[in-house]
Amino acid sequence: MFLALREIRHSKARYMLILVILLLVSFLVLFVTGLARGLAYANISAIENMPSNYYVVQGDADHTFRRSQLNDAELKAARAVVGDKNATPLAVQMSTITAADADVKADITFFAVDMDGMLAPKVIQGEGISNESQGSVIVDQKLEQSGITIGSTIRDQASGMSWKVAGFVQDSSYSHTPVVFINNRDWQEMKQGVGQGAAEAQSVPYNVIALHADTGQVKEITGQLDNVEVITQKQAISSIPGYSAEQNSLLMMIVFLFVIAAFVLAVFFYVITIQKTSQFGILKAMGTKMSYLAWSVVGQVMILSVASLCISLLLTFGMNRALPESMPFQLDASTIILTSCLFVAMSLLGALISVAKVAKVDALEAIGRTGA
Amino acid sequence: MSAKLLMKQVTKTYGDGDSTLSVLSNLNLQVNEGEFVAVLGPSGSGKSTFLSAAGALLTPTSGEIFIDGESLTNKDKGELTKLRLEKIGFMFQSAQLLPYLKVEEQLLYVARLAKLDTREAKQRAAYLLKRLEIWERRDRYPEQLSGGEKQRVAIARAWMNKPAILFADEPTASLDFNRGREVVRMIADEVKSEGKAAVMVTHDERMLEWCDRVLYLEEGHLIEKKSLVTVH
Repeated sequence: MFLALREIRHSKARYMLILVILLLVSFLVLFVTGLARGLAYANISAIENMPSNYYVVQGDADHTFRRSQLNDAELKAARAVVGDKNATPLAVQMSTITAADADVKADITFFAVDMDGMLAPKVIQGEGISNESQGSVIVDQKLEQSGITIGSTIRDQASGMSWKVAGFVQDSSYSHTPVVFINNRDWQEMKQGVGQGAAEAQSVPYNVIALHADTGQVKEITGQLDNVEVITQKQAISSIPGYSAEQNSLLMMIVFLFVIAAFVLAVFFYVITIQKTSQFGILKAMGTKMSYLAWSVVGQVMILSVASLCISLLLTFGMNRALPESMPFQLDASTIILTSCLFVAMSLLGALISVAKVAKVDALEAIGRTGA
Repeated sequence: MSAKLLMKQVTKTYGDGDSTLSVLSNLNLQVNEGEFVAVLGPSGSGKSTFLSAAGALLTPTSGEIFIDGESLTNKDKGELTKLRLEKIGFMFQSAQLLPYLKVEEQLLYVARLAKLDTREAKQRAAYLLKRLEIWERRDRYPEQLSGGEKQRVAIARAWMNKPAILFADEPTASLDFNRGREVVRMIADEVKSEGKAAVMVTHDERMLEWCDRVLYLEEGHLIEKKSLVTVH
């Protein structure tokens, strides 16, 4: 490090240039990662925030919630394995709503859940609803931007039914639409029309069963039930329409940025290293060990990449604050750590070419040279 | 009296088959403690090869080399690097200081390599720089020094780790006559005061005033020609 630090001190401008380039690349990496995570979260937060880790879907539904249709028999079987509390039905329906007191139309997704079960929405404002209540819903807070407040009446365009907004939940999106939570009673009414008998209502099918289970229980369920598939939360999320396409294109950008970072650094350091070939020869002749020189090169890359990463983290946080609410951006600690480590690792990978070059320099070059 | 450098029947051959070229052939040399030896020869006579072999940078085709009593034969690269660090001081053409180290740091760097105690290293660096009258410039970068000053720093750097022997490769090449002579005198002074040995390779016959012995490299052998030394 003795040489590494002093060289940076001496050639400030040169290393500053590299630092700025690394800074821009790492900032872009972090920013695009944040946007990708933000978009993902805005897309599927309702599923991601569910405490369940597995979902039972119909075998031919291609993992997609809305294509799946299950009934009480499957629910009973699932509950027999994991217990009543750890299996709960979920019905999903996309629709469009209008609000009576605001001039809005919004695409939403209905989630019909057991209000006492594990999928029950966590109300942050207003009041929750029970399984028995009628005509009340809990909606995602994003609908507030459309002018819907607690107490507003919303009307489903397809069924013509109306509900009063009882409370708000946070971060509940499905396929980029806000989720409207209703209880099973309202769900049955919506599906069968008003005035149906309670006995018949029981047989209204739902889409999936959310499970909180371990792998053994999952196997048991798949063994017991034909024509169903148990998928993980991850599989469920990536099957949400649009999710994979969106994330894959962003992922490709991020991967390219990493590769670019490695190459830019590799080329810069390689050129600098070639310039210093005679110096390395002298250093070796004087008795500097190769490992010392290798650490010197790697040390410089470490210093530059970590420094640029720190600055770009600050920039990213600053940028995050300046971003408008409508632009989804999310970076949690684990993503930051992973991205940072990857960035430093890619930089070091780029430095390896230079290390190889230094290794090839022969101490003999020091003798008989006239150049300065 | 011990031999700081001993070369026995050293041969270095380049090429193979029919077109071999013996740059050094059965070369013998002994340099003792307190001796300053100059090796002269026109360019292309093998001076660089000679210095590289003696300086543990190049393995000869045959023959044996001892530095401070230690044989170079059968040593691997790492061991040779260590030996160069501890036993050999190098002076290169045009000083070859590291452009990004200040004068004092040039010396502290080699001390660090040899894992010298920091305080001790600072004392030794100060001592050498003062002796070579360059102490006032210890905080300068090489680019701010004149050619003569650079070579003085190079001398100090070469002596920093108390090597057994110093090898100087055309130390006066980039200097004018007076400065060159001054640098050679300083090398000679250090050899005497530290009780070490030095071998200087040069093509400049005017620089031999302070040397104890002058040898000519001709056809791969070293020939002593005392009569040719010009007395100033």
